[in-house]
Amino acid sequence: MQLTETGESRVNGYLFILERSLKTFLPPDIVRDAVREIDSHLRERIAAADGAPNERVALEKILGELGPPLRVAQAYSAERAVDEAVTTGRVVAIFTALWRVAARTTIGFFVALAASVGYIVGWAFLVVAMMKPISPHNVGLWVDDATGVPHQLGVLFPAPAGNHDIAGYWLIPVCVVLGILIVRATHLWARRFLSRWRERRALARMGGFVA
Amino acid sequence: MSHETWQEQLRRGSLDLAILLSVSSGPRYGLAIIQHLDAFTDLVVTEGTIYPILARLTREGVLDATWVEDEAPHPRKYYRLTRAGARRLEQMKREWRAFAGKITRLIDAAESTDHATH
Repeated sequence: MQLTETGESRVNGYLFILERSLKTFLPPDIVRDAVREIDSHLRERIAAADGAPNERVALEKILGELGPPLRVAQAYSAERAVDEAVTTGRVVAIFTALWRVAARTTIGFFVALAASVGYIVGWAFLVVAMMKPISPHNVGLWVDDATGVPHQLGVLFPAPAGNHDIAGYWLIPVCVVLGILIVRATHLWARRFLSRWRERRALARMGGFVA
Repeated sequence: MSHETWQEQLRRGSLDLAILLSVSSGPRYGLAIIQHLDAFTDLVVTEGTIYPILARLTREGVLDATWVEDEAPHPRKYYRLTRAGARRLEQMKREWRAFAGKITRLIDAAESTDHATH
């Protein structure tokens, strides 16, 4: 079927909406590739519709079977960030995906918050371990001289008066182990949450596959 | 769970396998995959939602995608299984057959009990 100017405008309008929607969350090269693929799909279907008596009816049927551009864009968007995080397991990807999910659901917000705290606490232990050899008199597990009760752990400038460090250089391996354990546990927990969220999201998205 | 939800879950769970099977015999482009699936199943209802799945499978390294410019009046993006994809497909086929076998045995057992009691 050779499209008239009106038909061509309808196809271009569809692709324009799809492109605009995809651009809000996908990098430009991936948007170009996705739009090109959908364009190719449409051209192939239109070419195969030779002999259709009514261009408008035939075109609307083709576009209807493809699905509304916003739904197609949504299908691209829903899992992309989460997919990348679950597949690669990279910290940046996990963090990005967590905050994407946080923006959409309440549970996601609290999980992102908890994961942020986990990462920060874990890294704080590692920083303490790194700082100990650099500034040994300012890093420690601080105990009040008067009461003998430990009340602070970390890097303090200046070192607190009336306190002493009871951990010494043992602080380094303890903080390294704790830091790694907390970061690792937070990471695995966040990745598992995203993986489950992706499965739930996939089910919710299945309107597209239902007859 | 409603019957519709159960059907949706079945469709969703089998769509990745169906797509990988579609390209197992050789490279296919998006519309050809959809037409192949249509010929054997009713898995695809909204064609546009297949492309994001193809994109995800490509990102996961299960499929490899290549644009072919000179085969038709418009370029076509062909998908083929990677080695990792072939391994995953074999694993999925094994698991599918095992799962289907277990459910079939369960149905047979339930039906034979029914016949015995009536």
